[in-house]
Amino acid sequence: MTAKTDLPMPSRLKPATLLLLLLALAAGCGKLQNDINVPLPSYSAELVLECYLEPGKVPSLAVTTSVPYLGAVLPQVPTDVTVTLTMPNGTLVPLAFNPNYRALTDTTSGEKFHSHIGRSRLVAKAGDVFKIDVQDTQGRHITGTTTMMAPIPIDSVEYKFNDKTGTNRKAYFLTNFRDPATPDDCYRLQLHKGTPTAKNLLKSPEVDMSVQDRLLNGQPFVLGTSYRFSAGDTVTATLYHTDFAYYRFRQSVRDARGANGNPFAQPSAIYSNVQGGVGIFTVLSGTMTTKIVK
Amino acid sequence: MVFSLTTRCFWIVTLLVLLNAVPGRAQEAARITLSGTVRGAHGETLPGASVAVPALATGTAADSVGHYRLSLPAGRVQLVVTSIGYRTITRDLNLTKSQRLSFDLEENNQELGEVLVTGSVSLEQKLKTTQMGVEHLNIREAKLLPALFGEVDILKTLQLKPGVQSGGEGTSGLFVRGGSSDQNLVLLDNTVVYNPNHLFGLFSVFNSDAVQSVDLYKSGFPAQFGGRLSSVVDVKLREGDRQKYVATGGIGLISSRGTLEGPINKGKGSFIVSGRRTYFDIFTRALNKRNEGKEDYSPIPDYYFYDLNAKANYTLGEKDQLFLTGYLGRDIFGFSSTGGFNFSFQWGNTLGALRWNHVFSPKLFVNTTASVSDYKYSLVNKLDQFSFTLGSRITDYTGRTDFEYTPDDRHQVKFGATATQHTFGVGRLDANSGDGRVNFGSDVNYYGLDGAVYASDNYKATDKLQLEGGLRLTGFRSGDNQYGGLEPRAAARYSLNEKTSFKLNYALMYQYVHLVTNSGATLPTDIWYPSRLRVKPQRSQQVSGGGSFLLFGGKYLLTNELYYKWGQNQVDFRDGAQLFANPDLDAEFIFGKSWAYGNEIYLEKKTGRTTGWIGYTLAWSWRNFQPQNGTNGVNNGRDFHPNYDRRHNLTVVVMHQLNPRLSLTASFIYTSGNLTTLPLGRFGVQDIPGSSVGIDPRPVPIYPDRNSYRLIPYHRLDLGAVYKVGTRRNNDLTLSIYNAYNRRNAYFVFFDTVRDKATNRTTGFAAKQVSLFPVIPSLTYNFRF
Repeated sequence: MTAKTDLPMPSRLKPATLLLLLLALAAGCGKLQNDINVPLPSYSAELVLECYLEPGKVPSLAVTTSVPYLGAVLPQVPTDVTVTLTMPNGTLVPLAFNPNYRALTDTTSGEKFHSHIGRSRLVAKAGDVFKIDVQDTQGRHITGTTTMMAPIPIDSVEYKFNDKTGTNRKAYFLTNFRDPATPDDCYRLQLHKGTPTAKNLLKSPEVDMSVQDRLLNGQPFVLGTSYRFSAGDTVTATLYHTDFAYYRFRQSVRDARGANGNPFAQPSAIYSNVQGGVGIFTVLSGTMTTKIVK
Repeated sequence: MVFSLTTRCFWIVTLLVLLNAVPGRAQEAARITLSGTVRGAHGETLPGASVAVPALATGTAADSVGHYRLSLPAGRVQLVVTSIGYRTITRDLNLTKSQRLSFDLEENNQELGEVLVTGSVSLEQKLKTTQMGVEHLNIREAKLLPALFGEVDILKTLQLKPGVQSGGEGTSGLFVRGGSSDQNLVLLDNTVVYNPNHLFGLFSVFNSDAVQSVDLYKSGFPAQFGGRLSSVVDVKLREGDRQKYVATGGIGLISSRGTLEGPINKGKGSFIVSGRRTYFDIFTRALNKRNEGKEDYSPIPDYYFYDLNAKANYTLGEKDQLFLTGYLGRDIFGFSSTGGFNFSFQWGNTLGALRWNHVFSPKLFVNTTASVSDYKYSLVNKLDQFSFTLGSRITDYTGRTDFEYTPDDRHQVKFGATATQHTFGVGRLDANSGDGRVNFGSDVNYYGLDGAVYASDNYKATDKLQLEGGLRLTGFRSGDNQYGGLEPRAAARYSLNEKTSFKLNYALMYQYVHLVTNSGATLPTDIWYPSRLRVKPQRSQQVSGGGSFLLFGGKYLLTNELYYKWGQNQVDFRDGAQLFANPDLDAEFIFGKSWAYGNEIYLEKKTGRTTGWIGYTLAWSWRNFQPQNGTNGVNNGRDFHPNYDRRHNLTVVVMHQLNPRLSLTASFIYTSGNLTTLPLGRFGVQDIPGSSVGIDPRPVPIYPDRNSYRLIPYHRLDLGAVYKVGTRRNNDLTLSIYNAYNRRNAYFVFFDTVRDKATNRTTGFAAKQVSLFPVIPSLTYNFRF
């Protein structure tokens, strides 16, 4: 009570005090994320090419178009596009428009969508140069060139368990290989769990990482994971040797995706390796090995 | 180095002004010079204090460290020393020889109706100075204003001044007249602070208990400052109570503070030690422990920051005084997962400065400073035998000497020199395994030597006309690369009458060190990089002019300033730049030009029970980066606005002393929304067979134009109350209500996927606006004993 006598609060402050209390109660009330209407200016669609050639497989690719961000969900698949693949010996191979639309909506099997597909399996070796030509009837025209990289053998794979027990007992997984002396080599490593059937290898991997040899040119690489594998897991490591253009395309896609929703990120342009549109044209040069974690 | 015609003209003008000082000295030989220091009751220096002889209509203002010099005729005079918020001292003197005379002013906080809210530079001084574009902030003023989480933040208070923008909601970054945040020279007792932020910019590193004053220069930069293009933030620490030991502190919502100060050797000196620490981590650790073992619970990482300020001064004799300043601050972020993965992230500044003040005569004194400034960050990941460390560092060793010479009451000459040895650790990466199979790294270091000499003269040509000319010659060397330039500075003030003055100024600035960042915000992982090879020094020039008008019997000061600023070699980075551990960072830079213009109106009231200000800025900022270095530049070479470009900015600050115990404060801010880059288009990437992404979940955005979308206008009202408690009113309870009407300001906007709840399939895309802070009340208890 002494304090009340010494520290008289002016009567006109009482409503203000009440207001402050109400405001304090309101703190944290209401959502901090709200839907808003954003009027975007018009956007001119471009052709988008995604083509990953692989020795021993029938060449296929997806040609779609970019769309206004707030437009239709499914990709627009133009039906008036002709595609020609130029083989290393100069042979022109037309790829027919034969889309597997089912893959656009089936997100469980891992099957990829293609709009165009060839007839015979690809024969390719390191150093072979391929070209692609994509045209539609509106005058949009994509061209691209790529060279197959030499496959890099996986020297060994290994694992090591932590010192926990029960379900917490997990192992990390190491993949060892050696980078050649040439600069600008890039790699993509996928680790799949389960028996290495074609069906399982189509599904999402446990680990999917990309690295370049900027700091380790010509030296041994050891790529590791966190403690995430259990006893009994079958782990298949697939190592793709890629050129810098493919690595940069993937990084720019990652950066562009990351900028949407990150207030600290600077929006990034997409670095395609094709001209006249957006996309990637490359040859996958992979090696594979499997190990059971015991 | 380019010596333009303009540069030569300024050099000539400066020489003329300096030479003009010599005959003036001879003519005024019969005059007496008084000099000394003006302090408050607790020993704090009082920058801006007035020392005047009204009968002779002459006087001067104490400088940034409380020193004054006044030239007077011999004989009897009545000297009046005033500083807003302190009791006036009147002293009758019989002047026979030049002498030093210092004053200690008592606080004036007892009588209602007198000055109750203080700022130490009076409106009359602001009217009369040639200096434009400067904001002086007294920490006592800042402490009254409401603050986010109750944390008084001097940099955020500066954001309430015209021409100064914040980087975003709640952040303490400063964007001054179109400049970026790395173009601000932030000084703590004359030592550069490379990262003035804690917690990604939400708080500044300056502990308000230890700070004496802050000056922000937006234009008309005095010649003793250089090295950054946009502004100078000159922070001075308190010197401590010279008469008694005092402990102060505060217990707040997120942090607590403690300060101890007192005399050294019976008042020959004094010291102050002040510390602050947040305690988020105490709560998060308790929460983590409580939820330990729950499968669906993800532990919250530990985070806290602390800082420690210390300053001591000691009077060696009549003419010599030493000042020692230290600062240590760290942000510490740590995480240990149950999977054995350990992560730690630390960053912070370490500063030290030793200043020697020597008075040669009442007309000439010198400050010589040796200082070190170090900023570093370190990011460490560990898993079993594997470790990965990433870090960067910049370390400066600086020596500088600053002379002030006042030959007569018409001239105030400043000259000096500075040299800095920089060590840039631009990328340290270390990857190791216990068995030696993994052992690689990168450690890229550069060295730089930065030097400058300068001279300036503030010359009272007539009672109405005052001129200031200055020249700064700067140079920078890193490896075989050398750069240099002349930086002319000029200012003029013409007083139409006692209540109206007009001012004009010009400044050229070079910046030899650059912040490497790929973010719209300043992050602790940003790297400082020297001018070398392709990376040329940044350069800017600014002209500004305006008028100041004392209104309503001198109670209000209305100021209007127009400015135009243009810069070359502004830096940005190409899309997808690799900024970490890159031995060829030069290749990642791209260069462009900038220009900014605007008008700032400022109405200020500093005396009476109700004080405050209203500021309004109308401004434009532009940038242009043409295609270069294998890139399309920025925005395909088209002009664009930086994201902090705001067309309108209105601030209203009101402080009212209701009674001797209770002060009420309010601040309101209204600005145009931040600019942001939104994607116009998107496409799908399936990736290779077996990849983890598909067309459906995550479209790839296409960003055609930089910063083409403006967020909704930002406005916010903060309310505060300071209630003094205790019989001696030494303690207080401070209530802050941030965002009082709970406005949902836009922090950023993004496009989210809309999913069908039953099938989890994407059915569309929608724009979402994210807000950061709702209404946040906080209570802080501040004590003193």
